[in-house]
Amino acid sequence: MTVQLKGRAEAITIQWIPKYTLMERLGHWLHTATFVPLAITGMILYFPFLQPLAQGAAGETFRLIHRVAAVIFGLLPIVYFIVQPRRLLLNIREFLPNKEDLGWLKGAPAYYLMGKHEAMPPQGRFNAGEKMNGLVMIVAWFVFGLTGIPMWFGKGVISPELFRWLVVFHDLAMIVSVCMFLVHLYLAVAHPLMWAGLVSMRFGVTSAEYAAEHHAKWYYGPKRAMEIWEAKKRQAAEGGHS
Amino acid sequence: MARLAMLIDESQCTACRGCQVACKQWNDREGWLYSRTRNRGTYENPPDLSPQTWTRIRFTEYEGPDGFRWLFLKEGCMHCGDPACVAVCPTGALKQQPNGLVTFEEELCNGCGYCTQFCPFHIPRLATDLVTGKGKSSKCTFCQDRVTNGLLPACVKTCPAKALDFGDRDEMIAKGQERVAALKARGYTQANLYGVDQVGGLGRLYVLIAPPEAYGLPANPQYPALANIWQKILQPLGNVAFGATLLGILGAFLFVRRKIRMEEVR
Repeated sequence: MTVQLKGRAEAITIQWIPKYTLMERLGHWLHTATFVPLAITGMILYFPFLQPLAQGAAGETFRLIHRVAAVIFGLLPIVYFIVQPRRLLLNIREFLPNKEDLGWLKGAPAYYLMGKHEAMPPQGRFNAGEKMNGLVMIVAWFVFGLTGIPMWFGKGVISPELFRWLVVFHDLAMIVSVCMFLVHLYLAVAHPLMWAGLVSMRFGVTSAEYAAEHHAKWYYGPKRAMEIWEAKKRQAAEGGHS
Repeated sequence: MARLAMLIDESQCTACRGCQVACKQWNDREGWLYSRTRNRGTYENPPDLSPQTWTRIRFTEYEGPDGFRWLFLKEGCMHCGDPACVAVCPTGALKQQPNGLVTFEEELCNGCGYCTQFCPFHIPRLATDLVTGKGKSSKCTFCQDRVTNGLLPACVKTCPAKALDFGDRDEMIAKGQERVAALKARGYTQANLYGVDQVGGLGRLYVLIAPPEAYGLPANPQYPALANIWQKILQPLGNVAFGATLLGILGAFLFVRRKIRMEEVR
């Protein structure tokens, strides 16, 4: 595909390669479409300044929205597992931590704030930041479910002492996952380096050049990716352009 | 404003349950949720407190030092000095009034049920649809409408055995202590006054003729430690976390916009 961008003299050619299946993208966007209303309707009971929205019939309506969204939110990973079990296992394997994650942590400030590509060791299909986001969302899914289901169905069945702790952990999971969501949202829609992220989550494809630059270990394989990175670092040290 | 309290002399109660009827009549409460009452092998009726039953006489068969006897307990909201339900209520439906009444506004309640889970006495009750969550909780308000207009609560007004009294809390404590002394003099060695110090001092004081546990009252009720965790920990923590995240994102956005030129990005 050839694109003419403003500010560039010549047209650029983008070669698209597949990254996400339709089910993965559908799952991601249904997760978003339920996570956001869940967070908003939940915060109505959390923030005192939203108290007018919690009162009477309004509060009952927001609880109903929270519950409908919660059912979809809870079933999503289970449906994904039934429909594409091999794909889910593959993704989980790619989400497991490895030693490149430490390199990501070290290189992240220079890479994300200054755009220094040579600071970032080659990353797999998911870089350490994406892994962190995924891990927080997976853990939060379990915590929301394990605390939310008894809070919904268990009043009067479970002990009040347990119920009180469930509310606390439900809120803690909300605080952590909403912060992670805000960072994820910024990187996806407003960070210049991450331009292909939103494209691949919408259309399932990513630019080959982008993949080579940001997910070299996935694009080239680990060995070739390291060689290219070493060369890039040498070049940067000699004062060349990265 | 002086705190008000109800004094309930359980040694006088005959379990006529006139208080239950007067309460339902004045506060427009329906009968039990069933269409008709069922025999459960006990004189108690209805079977439990509910959003429609704010007060109820609990019958306990008690084997005391002088042999078998009934213990009657007029259950209902204790109107605590430190009401945990008010601290956890996210709607403001539950309030503590300057005169000590813990009042409830049904139209503000959204049925979250937190009050039912944080009350040390298990008093507020929730009637809710299990699927949709539509419903309300409810509890005794000490007939706020009557009391603020100089009348006695409906149950106190109706009690034919003069077991109920209502007024200035200090006066009620003094009267209760007198009654306990009189009962002890008559041989009720276990007589005691319940509610003077518990949970900030209760607005419902009981003259009992047996230990509180025998009536099913908690001997040492505790204000739940987690009731104030929103105000003290979770909300400040959330404010700091959300604020720091948003500030960090804004800073990164402004910084990166100048440092990384979109035209040079591959």
